[in-house]
Amino acid sequence: MPVDRFQGFVFNPADLSEDVDLDPERRREILFVHGHLADWNHWQLLGLPWNAPADRAREAYREKVKVFHPDRYPGRRLGSYRARLEQVFRRLTEARDALSNDATRAAYAKQSAPPEEFARAEARRLDEAERAAERRARLARTNPLVARAGRVHDLLDRGRKALAEGKFAQAVNDLSTALAMDPALADAKALLQEARKRALADKAKDYWDKAHAAEAVNNLELALEMATAAAAADPSNPRYPVFAARMALRRGSLEDARGHAEAALRAAPTYGPAHEVLGEALAEQGDKAGARRELERALELDPGLESARERLKRLRWSFLG
Amino acid sequence: MSEIEPFVGIDLGTTNSVVATVIDGVPRVIANRIGQVLTPSVVAVSKNGKKLVGNIAKRQAITNPDSTVFAAKRLIGRRWGSKEVEDARRVLPYQLVPGPEGHDVRVVLGGRTFAIPEVSAMVLAELKADAEAFFGRRVTKAVVTVPAYFNDGQRQATKDAGRIAGFEVLRIINEPTSAALAYGFGKQMEKKVVVFDLGGGTFDVSVLDIGKSVYDVVAVGGDTYLGGEDFDRRIMDWLSFSFAKENQGIDLRQDTMALQRLRDSAEKAKIELSSVQSASIHLPFLAAAGEGKAALHLAKQLTREKLEELTKDLVDRCIQVTERTLRDAGIRPSQVGEVLLVGGMTRMPRVQQAVKQFFSRDPSRGVHPEEVVALGAAIQAHALLYPQKDREVLLLDVTPQNLGIMVVGGYFATIIPKNTTVPTSQTHVFTTVQDQQTSVRIAVLQGESEKAVENELLGEFILDGIRPAKRGEVEIEVAFDISADGIVGVSARDVDTGQRQSITVTATSGLTENELRRILDENLDELLERKQSGEFERLRERAQIMIGEIESLVPQVREALTRSHFGKDALQKAEGVVARARAAIASQDLQQMATNDEQLDRTVQLFKGLAGGAPIPGGEA
Repeated sequence: MPVDRFQGFVFNPADLSEDVDLDPERRREILFVHGHLADWNHWQLLGLPWNAPADRAREAYREKVKVFHPDRYPGRRLGSYRARLEQVFRRLTEARDALSNDATRAAYAKQSAPPEEFARAEARRLDEAERAAERRARLARTNPLVARAGRVHDLLDRGRKALAEGKFAQAVNDLSTALAMDPALADAKALLQEARKRALADKAKDYWDKAHAAEAVNNLELALEMATAAAAADPSNPRYPVFAARMALRRGSLEDARGHAEAALRAAPTYGPAHEVLGEALAEQGDKAGARRELERALELDPGLESARERLKRLRWSFLG
Repeated sequence: MSEIEPFVGIDLGTTNSVVATVIDGVPRVIANRIGQVLTPSVVAVSKNGKKLVGNIAKRQAITNPDSTVFAAKRLIGRRWGSKEVEDARRVLPYQLVPGPEGHDVRVVLGGRTFAIPEVSAMVLAELKADAEAFFGRRVTKAVVTVPAYFNDGQRQATKDAGRIAGFEVLRIINEPTSAALAYGFGKQMEKKVVVFDLGGGTFDVSVLDIGKSVYDVVAVGGDTYLGGEDFDRRIMDWLSFSFAKENQGIDLRQDTMALQRLRDSAEKAKIELSSVQSASIHLPFLAAAGEGKAALHLAKQLTREKLEELTKDLVDRCIQVTERTLRDAGIRPSQVGEVLLVGGMTRMPRVQQAVKQFFSRDPSRGVHPEEVVALGAAIQAHALLYPQKDREVLLLDVTPQNLGIMVVGGYFATIIPKNTTVPTSQTHVFTTVQDQQTSVRIAVLQGESEKAVENELLGEFILDGIRPAKRGEVEIEVAFDISADGIVGVSARDVDTGQRQSITVTATSGLTENELRRILDENLDELLERKQSGEFERLRERAQIMIGEIESLVPQVREALTRSHFGKDALQKAEGVVARARAAIASQDLQQMATNDEQLDRTVQLFKGLAGGAPIPGGEA
């Protein structure tokens, strides 16, 4: 018993007995393919496995059209078979057109993929992404131009990361190197500015901590030095010069104290403690009216400054006394 | 092989035509009755009203320029008022007029107007007669070639020409495809082939993917107004400009006879320059210098270099079209396995160089680039009539231009894109835009421009008898199909009811069916007349011989006949028959002659019998 070429396809006896010049086997072949036009995909129509390569599609097409092109039956009576042949031929041509072009073939393959093939393709895609990264790295090692571009890219990435992690000095370092290699990196410029600002603030805070530590052990000289450095690193924060002014006051360098206090007021004219420390310095210098004015202003801006209130009281008492 | 019906393949060229067939599996060209392979595609009506075709027409062109039609192919299927026709009117010495409907082009020849397909049909009929002389029997089956870039109108008109000439046109095929077929015939080929076909009037490029005897056309491109004649015209312009400069501005182009001589010498010089570096052009007594002065002569030397300079842009255009076509096919020049040169103009060295440079490879050419197209057509005719198991051939051609319709805003909507394998079909659903609308007009166009007006209008189809309903309720599905000939068909049906809609075609550039039938009838009458005159001659000759025999026998049989009552009667009847036969000859009455023929024959048999001594028969003579 031979294998059933037509996979149990049910033929209409009327079609098989139509009075046309075609042998029974050819009729079955035409009816079989025509009957499957609606449910076969392009590859099935061409008799190929799913995702067969483009040249196989072209080859299969050439074989198939020899059966299904109406020109192959000149002078024969074809009856209803003529229309069937033409329809099959058009579908074959459609299939060839879609599968012999790499771009459309890939799109069609994706769309017509059986489920297990789809999973396999997905795995392959991930694998390929990994391999592509590897390929890029290898290329970077060998090609100086690509290497340079890759290096700039890496520096930028590292700088960004350091910035996010709070390693501002590291970020400034990386970003300025990247910019030196490729001055056209616009976003790197903005990042660098930000990193610099943050790095300085960081440094100031560092000095600030050291200043407090020095004060705790009563090393007023070092405390003053550190506070001055913090103020220089981050001039926007008035707390640093205020602290420096206090240290100077305690060391008796009144001019220094006044200078720091005024610097603090330049940075933040409405900062109460700055007015307070300036008032104290003025008081020490003997300018009582000036001192009272500054202390009152300090209390006006920051009524919670008990030390200022005390100082003001003392001033009034000495005035009264 | 002798019992099969003869068939031909015809290359109906702009300047020359060739006819071929296949005998015992071998394609071969049929020479015309004067022994030449190329028959000029020239038709003329002489001063005494005789139709002339081919060599004889070409030879008398100089003395009869306004009644000699050449390059009819440039006009076939063209629309009156189109740019091509307007250009042609400026340069052609013969007169063109619009057809009765105002759409197509007619040519005035000997006081009568002819449709262009009628003119082409005369050339085809000449080739048919050549083939019939070759086979010694009637030939009706033919495959006719057209440039690949021909649109539907041009193909339809060429098919009409075949019908008028008395052919059953099996198929219209593209010239480059045909050439590739002839080239690949009998070879086992598996490669991409580019055919570069620069003929007398048209330029075509086709990219084919050949394998397993299937000739699969991937893309075609071309210019139906670029060919050898344009090269000739450059030479003619150069000659007439320099002539005008030397002779106080005498414009030779105003003089049709001088123009024809210029044309001939330009073509001759161009052909010469393919093998030599310099050609001399001598045209004595070309123009009159005026009252009492000696006639003017033209004597010029044309070098190959000068010719190349004059025609540089034409060659460049060919390469541009080739580049575009390759891009359409999606292949690079390096992927091409073979470049085939076809057409007489590819003999020009500069053309060959340009092709070689573009493809970075030596192009192939047959020994006779003018013949391959006809040979391929013959092979296709053979394949269409007698499919062979061992030498199977299957052509898969494509449509050269986008087919579409005009949509709102005057835009062109493509329905079947160019380079689609034919036969093919596509449907489009139209709907009514007004309440109770009963007809829809659809303009079908072919071309590559986005704007409808810049494309060729194939025709207007009026869908009528639409059932009245609210707008948008009736949907009509229109099917556009392109046959293997590249000819467009349109049919329509109502989507809901499935009923077929009637379609009226108007404004086509070709002949209407009625007109075609009239021309066919006329040709039939003419043919009948010719046949009748042959038949009449034959009967007249027979009758005269028989009358002579009867008259010479009468003295011998008179005595025997007068002896009986019956005999007297027979003699009387015989005299009557002879008298009637003489009268019929005098009045050229074919019908009567045929009747008389039988009676004369019987009389002769009777008299011969009597003279030989037979008894008088009992019946009537």
